[in-house]
Amino acid sequence: MEGFLQLLMLGLMEGGLYAIVAAAIVLVFKSTHVVSLAHGQIMGFGALAFWIGVVQLKLPLALALIGSLAFSAAMGWLIERAAMRPLIGQPLFASFLNTFAVFLVLDGIFQLILKGESYSFSAYLPKGNVSVGDFTLPITQLVSFLGSLLVFLGLALFYRWTKLGLGMRATAEDHQLAQSTGISVRGVFSAIWVLSSATATFAGLALANVTDIYYTLPYMGIKGLVVALVGGLESLPGALLAGLLLGVLENVSAGYLDPLVGGGIKEVAAYVLLLFVLLVKPYGLFGLVRIERI
Amino acid sequence: MWRPCGTFDETYEKDMAIVRTPLRWAVLTASLVLTVLLPVILPYYFISFINNLAITVILVMGLQIVSGYCGQISFGQAAFMAVGAYSAAIFTQKLGLSFWLALPLSGIFTGLFGLIGGAPSLRIKGFYLAVATIAVHFVTMWLILHLEITGRSHGLMVEPPSLAGFSFDTDERMFYIIMPVMILMTYGARNLVRTKVGRAFVAVRDNDLAAQVMGINLFYYKLLAFFISCFYAGVAGCLWAHLTLVAHFEQFTLLHALWYIGMLIVGGMGSVPGVFFGVILIRILDELVMVVSPVLAAWFPWLGSAPAAGLGVTAFGLVLALFLIWEPRGLAHRWEILKASLRLYPFAH
Repeated sequence: MEGFLQLLMLGLMEGGLYAIVAAAIVLVFKSTHVVSLAHGQIMGFGALAFWIGVVQLKLPLALALIGSLAFSAAMGWLIERAAMRPLIGQPLFASFLNTFAVFLVLDGIFQLILKGESYSFSAYLPKGNVSVGDFTLPITQLVSFLGSLLVFLGLALFYRWTKLGLGMRATAEDHQLAQSTGISVRGVFSAIWVLSSATATFAGLALANVTDIYYTLPYMGIKGLVVALVGGLESLPGALLAGLLLGVLENVSAGYLDPLVGGGIKEVAAYVLLLFVLLVKPYGLFGLVRIERI
Repeated sequence: MWRPCGTFDETYEKDMAIVRTPLRWAVLTASLVLTVLLPVILPYYFISFINNLAITVILVMGLQIVSGYCGQISFGQAAFMAVGAYSAAIFTQKLGLSFWLALPLSGIFTGLFGLIGGAPSLRIKGFYLAVATIAVHFVTMWLILHLEITGRSHGLMVEPPSLAGFSFDTDERMFYIIMPVMILMTYGARNLVRTKVGRAFVAVRDNDLAAQVMGINLFYYKLLAFFISCFYAGVAGCLWAHLTLVAHFEQFTLLHALWYIGMLIVGGMGSVPGVFFGVILIRILDELVMVVSPVLAAWFPWLGSAPAAGLGVTAFGLVLALFLIWEPRGLAHRWEILKASLRLYPFAH
């Protein structure tokens, strides 16, 4: 059973990262009702900015972190201004497709910058292993995991205690009602893109720490989308739970089924889970069931 | 059915005809003759480009039926094309069937496969369905990579089709298979969307609850849309496999599926001519990038040695975003406006 526990721990660590990608997507969906593919790219660019800060400019870690957060926040703001705002009032599906146009534009730029190479900043981070009971975990992974939990906590507190968070919750309920109580819905949209971009950057850093910055990194955004859908698009706790669930499922199924079918289960486990969950609970585990009218 | 004023149809047949005026008959005949002569006139490069265009048109036409007319956005079209290509390769190479039998068979097989892929559409719609079709894409590609019969990562080799000893082994010869199939499939789509089935699709797209209340069987029509769309994808995949002489999973990535959806948006959702506009514009853009990027790379060395892939994706994304913001109804809408203003020429409205 030790193998199982090791897989479980690994899964939880990875799941924490998935959860935080999903959190960024959930944040945007809650307030703007747009599902965003673009956050995968924001992840990639945030990690790239951090790499430039740490490796090329040799900044201290904290400064590089702040710099990359500021960069991606500016990027989120710009995307909202240039691509999302002109589509307010259009069908939501147009906005969804536009996030995927943004994804493509940024994907090309990302490829042009990387030129097919992969960059790593893990050598600049503190090293070492931590022993918890019988297993050992790399300290960077543990920090990533705890960091993602902290981000969740921070988001929860932000939503609960700040005025802007209250405005965001009101906007999530109903755009017109929120506007009639004096909340600037457009301001909230801008703020939510900035906030979610910063969240996505955390995810990008945590992911790049494990997998290096490579041109496939932004495609983890699609996995984040899967997690968000499994958890329910409106629910932050759902994102956390679904992320952990998915991480564990991927690692455990890979550990037990790979020898039987010859590898690669990890790549599809998420999608198979998604198809099953959507067939049984179409709005995800914790999503709001919408009542439709004609 | 919309008609410009001054059009008088005296019989039902005249009213329902697709080609309605003598002028259109003339244009149609002339363009058909021109199409037959094309491989003689044009150099090789253009013929292979046109073959590529025609296969993409078949594929995107299928996507138009399920997404543009029935409103079920599908990111799975590349995977369905892969199923078509692989099933065609298996039919002709492993089972020894002739190409002419494999062409419809791979379409039908892909259609049946699409019924599984389309099953989630009965429970979910909108983004949920779009992401579910992404999941279908990944699961399908995973199956192709891990099953014994598909040759795993090597892909499957395909022999060129032949008829009574005559082998269609060049692009010019394949042109005479691909073009008629494309014309036939376009004709089929053009007719399908104005029948009872096509009207049911549009009703489902506009409001599926209202459609259900009117007595449209959602279960039946959504699955039918997926079946037809995947039939198109299967035929396109079969032609593609026999044109490139290989069925390989790298020809069918998620990025390809995104391109097909993009062509649909640029061309115009819910319009058969729109498919042609979208496919042609995006493919020309792609070729342009191929031509321009070495020049750019020479001017700006920091772009790297091979900027084509990145530049192509960026240009495509930009075009897509601009269309979504400024021309959400696509080039087909522009085309209608152009036609109307030509008809009324000296007058503004």
